Amino acid sequence: MTQYILRRLLLMLPVAFLVTILVFVLIRLSPGDPLVIYAGEERDPATLEALRQEYGLDRSMPEQYVSWITHAVQGDLGRSLRTRQPVLEAIVERLPATIELGITALVLSVTVALVVGTLSAVRRNSPLDLLATGFTLAGVSLPNFFLGLILILVFSLAIRLFPPGGYTALREDVWDNLRHLILPAITLATASMAVNMRQVRSSLLDTFGQDYIRTARAKGLRETMVIARHALKNALIPVVTVIGLQIGAIIEGAIITEQIFSWPGIGKLAVDSIGGRDYPVVQAIVLISALSFMVTTLVVDVLYAWLDPRISYGGPQS
Amino acid sequence: MTRLLTILTVLALVTGACAGTTPSTTGGGASTAPSAAVKPTVGGTVTMVLENDVIDFDPLKSRAFVDRNVHYQIYDSLVRIDETGKIVQWLATKWEASTDGKSVTFTLRDDVTYHDGTKFDAESVKWNIERYIKTAGSQRAGELASVDTVEAVNATTVKFNLKSPFSPLVANLVDRAGMMVSRKAFEAVGNPDDFTRKAFKAGTGPFMLTEAIKDDHMTLEKNPSWWGKDKDGTKLPYLDKITVKPFTNSDTRFTNLRTGDAQVANNIAGKDVPTAKTESSLTYQERPALSFRSLIPNRAPGFVFNEKRYVKAVSMAIDRAQLLDKGYFNLGAVGYGTIAPSHFAFDASFKPFEKADPEGAKKLVQEVGQGPLRFELMVSAGDPATLTIATLIKDQLQKAEIVADIQQLEFAKILELQSAHTFKGLTFVGWSGRIDPDGNTYDHIYSKRPFNDSSYSNADVDKLLDEQRATSDQEKRKAALRMAEQIYVVDDPARIWLGFGAAQLLTSKKVNAPPAYPDQIVRFHLMSMAAR
Repeated sequence: MTQYILRRLLLMLPVAFLVTILVFVLIRLSPGDPLVIYAGEERDPATLEALRQEYGLDRSMPEQYVSWITHAVQGDLGRSLRTRQPVLEAIVERLPATIELGITALVLSVTVALVVGTLSAVRRNSPLDLLATGFTLAGVSLPNFFLGLILILVFSLAIRLFPPGGYTALREDVWDNLRHLILPAITLATASMAVNMRQVRSSLLDTFGQDYIRTARAKGLRETMVIARHALKNALIPVVTVIGLQIGAIIEGAIITEQIFSWPGIGKLAVDSIGGRDYPVVQAIVLISALSFMVTTLVVDVLYAWLDPRISYGGPQS
Repeated sequence: MTRLLTILTVLALVTGACAGTTPSTTGGGASTAPSAAVKPTVGGTVTMVLENDVIDFDPLKSRAFVDRNVHYQIYDSLVRIDETGKIVQWLATKWEASTDGKSVTFTLRDDVTYHDGTKFDAESVKWNIERYIKTAGSQRAGELASVDTVEAVNATTVKFNLKSPFSPLVANLVDRAGMMVSRKAFEAVGNPDDFTRKAFKAGTGPFMLTEAIKDDHMTLEKNPSWWGKDKDGTKLPYLDKITVKPFTNSDTRFTNLRTGDAQVANNIAGKDVPTAKTESSLTYQERPALSFRSLIPNRAPGFVFNEKRYVKAVSMAIDRAQLLDKGYFNLGAVGYGTIAPSHFAFDASFKPFEKADPEGAKKLVQEVGQGPLRFELMVSAGDPATLTIATLIKDQLQKAEIVADIQQLEFAKILELQSAHTFKGLTFVGWSGRIDPDGNTYDHIYSKRPFNDSSYSNADVDKLLDEQRATSDQEKRKAALRMAEQIYVVDDPARIWLGFGAAQLLTSKKVNAPPAYPDQIVRFHLMSMAAR
């Protein structure tokens, strides 16, 4: 297993390298001069030229790439063209907000999906099941920008229960942090929650038909034990796959959700940087997203083996 | 003889200007009292929602309008404006031009210290201005291009030696080019790229920047030793703290005010103004701003709008009143040129295209004899408000049988085409406005100047614009500016101006709000919490 993980980690390097080349070229091929964009209404050609030289944007693309990658492997991702903030610092500064939102959304999504999905499967075709199916349909159909606005309209403007946007750091004020977190977390969690709920339900229903479940019941085990010990663990393999893939979807979803709720995370940084052609920031965010995708996939694969001992990554057994 | 007259008029005007700006109480322009008649409460915290995050705290690097909202709180300039747009004393209590108009001497306040405890004096002004002029890539170099050298005559007297007489200099010092930064604070940070993000306690202004978290919030704390006082002699500012939060979405900004999560905003969408005016918990103020809205034609040879009659035909066919009503939700004012209502040279009777004249436009196009006029009207993709305005314009032009093909392009692409002077038809461009009409005009209209995106060139206009720069005689400047405006708006149009913007100030009833200023910046040093 250790060898397998090491091999997978090594394989990430060429993939990450290709990603850097791809994003480096693509962002530069898209129209728009970052300096002209950031100059705003004060576009003095002499000033722009001085800045172009200072930022090294007057050099050829290969030269710029070699310079960037040489620094990147040493942990220096450059400075933002717009704010002049070191890119790594910009990302680290925004990571807590994104992680907090992502984890809350994921926990919310998985918890609700497990509980409601299980109840739906156990009480198939009951009013609860029908309600959950209805919620699933709505959750998948509603784009999160629309859901976010509806939540703001109802809970911020009408009921005035939660603020319509913004962020307070956890270390500053826990209560205020939670007040700001609830609406974006629900917005981000809803779509994945609906998919997970459906996955848990159908996977459990499949498992209920298996022989070992009949055996467990025949042994006289209580129904809760049958579900928790035998059915759920076996039903979780496809669920884990879906959740693993959804971590990536949550990162994507965070880009929109953070915009709606002015949540100062990586997603908002990505949108601002792409629009403004902030090359170093876009390159770093794409690289980090790609790496996190690769690591997540690896973790999911490792989890398979834990959930189902029949799955082995140690090569063919003799 | 002409030279002697010029010198005399420069002297007369500058001396006159100074005499006219001396306020009767201490604190310079800060003597303007808050709007509330009751005695202001000292203390309290307010939250302001801004349309974007501040990018550069260093005035030298600042490019965005939004930065100025914070600059004005943490830095003092040599001079400022009052709510009518008139230049008033600030760090400088007096200024006087030399007889040949080639130098201006400023007398400085002697009771000012920077937030870091260092003394503000003439040496400090010299260091700041030289930094703005000499640093490569300085965004202030253009505004101070007329300054040759700066001399610290004594601790409270500083002399600006000019390359040639330049009447808008004092107006240019109202904003970032006149803002004073502590040398000690700047040098302590070391890297200028870091200073622009962490200019903590670096100014002399009424508030000190103490915290700045990107895309999240900024904290400005009261400067207890600020020099300004109100009419009653109470030390300003009244507030203890300002939290500034960037919310790019205008709906979010407005909702924050409505829910009470924020108390101050100076930029809300036109569609929300009627609600803002009627919401019982809010106070809405508006006054004409210095900003203008325009359409830029590419007047370079080889492009359709190289033909000046086409530009005029479009200008004639546009119904500006309808645009203001339906496109801008009556936010702002109809206008035809660069000189805004708050500028001294504004001519209220200058209404060359007051009524849309599609028939006249049609005739003008026919007169060119090149068949029907058709062009691209470029709109930034994902900007529904501008798309609505573009659609209205397209409909209006149709009445004159002019076809505008709306092209939605990424903003970055439009800017690229505009800067390269290779766009085919018209683009939308706004300008946030400057105190002096020269700042709204010269660089946009004068041949080969940096913001002359329409590639416009007219020798008569250039001559008139140079003349108004060289004389300080307000009447002469006014005459030259107005004559130039007649040419670049009507006779040989450089652009199609649509109107002027509005300076908004939306505040919670929990605060006593200062008046809205034409430069759109909130004067927090005059704001206080409302008495309960």
